[in-house]
Amino acid sequence: MSGKILYWRGCMSRLRTKSIADATEELLRRLGIEYETLDDEGCCGSVLLRTGQVEDAKTVAKRTADHIKSKGYREVVTSCPGCFRTMSSEYHVLVGDVPFRVRHISQFLFDHSKELKQHLKPIKVKVVYHDPCHLGRHMGVYKEPRELVKLVPGVELVEFKYNRGKSICCGSGGGVHSVFPEIALEVAKTVLNDRPEGVDIIITSCPFCNYNFKEVGGSKVEVIDLPEFLLRAWRES
Amino acid sequence: MDPAWLKSKRKEFKSWMTDEDRRMGLDRAITAYRAAREYALATLPELEQIRKEVRKIKERSIESMQDLVKGAMENIELVHGHAYLAKDAKGARRIFSKLVGEDKLVVKSKSLVSDEILLNELLEEQGNRVYETDLGEFIIQLRKEKPTHLLNPAVHVPKEEVAKTFSKLVGRRVGADIPTLVGVAREFLRDKFCTADVGITGANVVAANTGTLFVIENEGNARFVSNAPPVHICVTGIDKVVPTLSDAFKVVQVLPPYATGILMSAYVSMITSPSRTADIEKTLVYGAHGPKELHVIFMDNGRTEMFKDPVFREALYCLRCGGCMYECPVYRVLGGSFGHNYFGGIGIIWSAFTAGEENAAAAADACTKCAKCKETCPVDIDVPKMVEHLKQRLIRKGYLAPKHEEIKKSILKKGHPFGQ
Repeated sequence: MSGKILYWRGCMSRLRTKSIADATEELLRRLGIEYETLDDEGCCGSVLLRTGQVEDAKTVAKRTADHIKSKGYREVVTSCPGCFRTMSSEYHVLVGDVPFRVRHISQFLFDHSKELKQHLKPIKVKVVYHDPCHLGRHMGVYKEPRELVKLVPGVELVEFKYNRGKSICCGSGGGVHSVFPEIALEVAKTVLNDRPEGVDIIITSCPFCNYNFKEVGGSKVEVIDLPEFLLRAWRES
Repeated sequence: MDPAWLKSKRKEFKSWMTDEDRRMGLDRAITAYRAAREYALATLPELEQIRKEVRKIKERSIESMQDLVKGAMENIELVHGHAYLAKDAKGARRIFSKLVGEDKLVVKSKSLVSDEILLNELLEEQGNRVYETDLGEFIIQLRKEKPTHLLNPAVHVPKEEVAKTFSKLVGRRVGADIPTLVGVAREFLRDKFCTADVGITGANVVAANTGTLFVIENEGNARFVSNAPPVHICVTGIDKVVPTLSDAFKVVQVLPPYATGILMSAYVSMITSPSRTADIEKTLVYGAHGPKELHVIFMDNGRTEMFKDPVFREALYCLRCGGCMYECPVYRVLGGSFGHNYFGGIGIIWSAFTAGEENAAAAADACTKCAKCKETCPVDIDVPKMVEHLKQRLIRKGYLAPKHEEIKKSILKKGHPFGQ
C-alpha cells in the first residue's frame, strides 16, 4: 500500500459534483498513476472550521489523519481546495504533524505536464480561469492551473479583470451557501456577469465554485473543472 | 426554521439584494473606487513601504494603547483642552449630555464613533438641533436612513433620489444634477456652521506626544465644524492614538489613497488646543477666532476587550479606510445590511465588540472568508481568521445556524455534510 497515492475526492466531488471525481480518476488512470480512493473517506474538517465549529473539526481531522496514516499513504491529492488547505496548512495545528504530503490536483498534474501534453488534442475555444479562494489567496497556487490549461493546443486563455490574488469569490465559501444560498447565488451572478467577453468556458478547480456557478443557471457559458477540461482534450487513440 | 437572530437579518439582506436602485448606486461606486485607487497606488509607489511602516506603528501603538491615551490626555490638558475617557457608550453619552446641554444648535462632521453611542438621537432628545454636515451623512440624515459605508455613507443613493430629498428640504424643485445638489447643501448648511453653538468631529489619528488631533476630509465641512462654533468636541476611539506626530503623518499618507483613491485629501486639520493668542502684551488668552473650548473624548467601548484577545487585537489596527468593503464580494450584494454599525468583514468584528455580539452573528455566517479584504488591507489585517474566531465564540453563546448544526451532525455521523 505504501508508496501509492491517495486520491482524496472530498465530499463535494464524491457526492454532489461527481463528474469532477470521475474525470479526475479517468485522467489519473490514463496517465498510468497508481492511486487509490477510500470508500469510507470521511471529512477533512474544512467546512466545520469555516463555520466556527473548531472542536468538531478537530475530532474529524484526527479521525481522517489517523485513517490516512493507518493505510500508509505518503501522498494525498485532493480535488477540493478546501480539503487541500485544511490538510496541508491547518492539520499541524489541529492534530499535530502528519506523515503524508497533501497537494491539490492542479499541482500534481502540473508535475505530469510533459506526459499530459503528448495526449492533448487541439480544441478551439476561449476559456477563462476562475481562481478559487482557498487555492489562490489562501494557498498561493496560481501558476499551475493556468499552465495546465495552456497545455491544450488551440485554447485561448483569458483572464478575469480581477484575477489571482485579486480574484473575486464565487460566493459559496465559508458556509454561506448552506445558510444563505440566496446570497451565494447573487454573488456568483456578479462574477459570471463580469466574465470577459466571448468566453465559452469558465474553468475552476474547486467543486464549490463549480456547483455554485452552475446553480445560477441560464448562463450562456459552460462551467467545468480543470481535470474535466483536460480529459475532454485527451486524444482518443 | 430560522431563529430570531437569523430571521430578521435574512429579511434585511433580502431587501438590500432586491433593491435595484441601491445595488446600482453601489456598483457605480465600486467601479469608480477601484479605478481611482489603482491610479493612486501607481502614482505613489512609496506607499507600499509606508503602509508597512504604518502596520508596525499600529502594532506598537496598540501594545501600549492605555499609556498612549493617558499621555495624549495629559498633553491635551496641558494646553487648556479638556480630555475624557469614556468606558462605554453610556459613559460617553453622559459626557456629551453635560457638555452640550439643551436647546443648542449642533453641527457635526462624520464620526463613526459617534454612531456607536447613538449621539444624534441623544442630542435631539435633549432638545438640540443637530445637523450632519458631511454631504453623504446629511443625505442619510434627511432620509432617515442608516449609513451604508464608512466613508461614503450615502453610496447607495442615486442622484435622482438625492434630488427628491433636497427638493423637500428647500421647498422647491431641485434637478438631479450633481453639482446643483452639492450647491444646495452648501447654501443650506453655510449659516448653520456660523451660528452653531457646538461643533462635533471625530479624529482619524491622534499624536500622543503633543495631544494633536488629525481630522482628514475633502469637503471642508470638518474645518467649519471644528473652527466656527465656540465649542469643539472631538470624539475618537482609544485605538486611534499613535506615539508621535511623525507616526501620525505616516497614517495620514496611507488613508486617502486607500480610502477614496485620491493622492491626498483636500484638507488635513491638526488641532492641538483651543484657539489662542498672546498678541497683546505677550499675555496668553484662550479663545481667539476659533473655539474657546476644546473637549476630547476617548472612547473605549469594547476596545480593551478586543485587545485582550490576541486574535481580535489585530482589528484595532484598522485605519477605517473602508477600502476592503469596496472589494468584498458579499458587501457588493448586501451593502449596508452586511454588518451593523460597522460594515464588511472587519465590520462584523467591530459591530460585535461595540454594539453587542447578537448584532454580528448573522453577518458572520454571510462572510465567505475569501480573504479579499485581507489582500486589499493596507495594514494586512487577517479578517477571515477573526470572523472564524468570532464564530467560535458566538456558537458557545448559542448563535449556531440550524443549517450548520445539521451539517455538523451529518459529518460526525456519516462523514459528509449532506445528511440522508
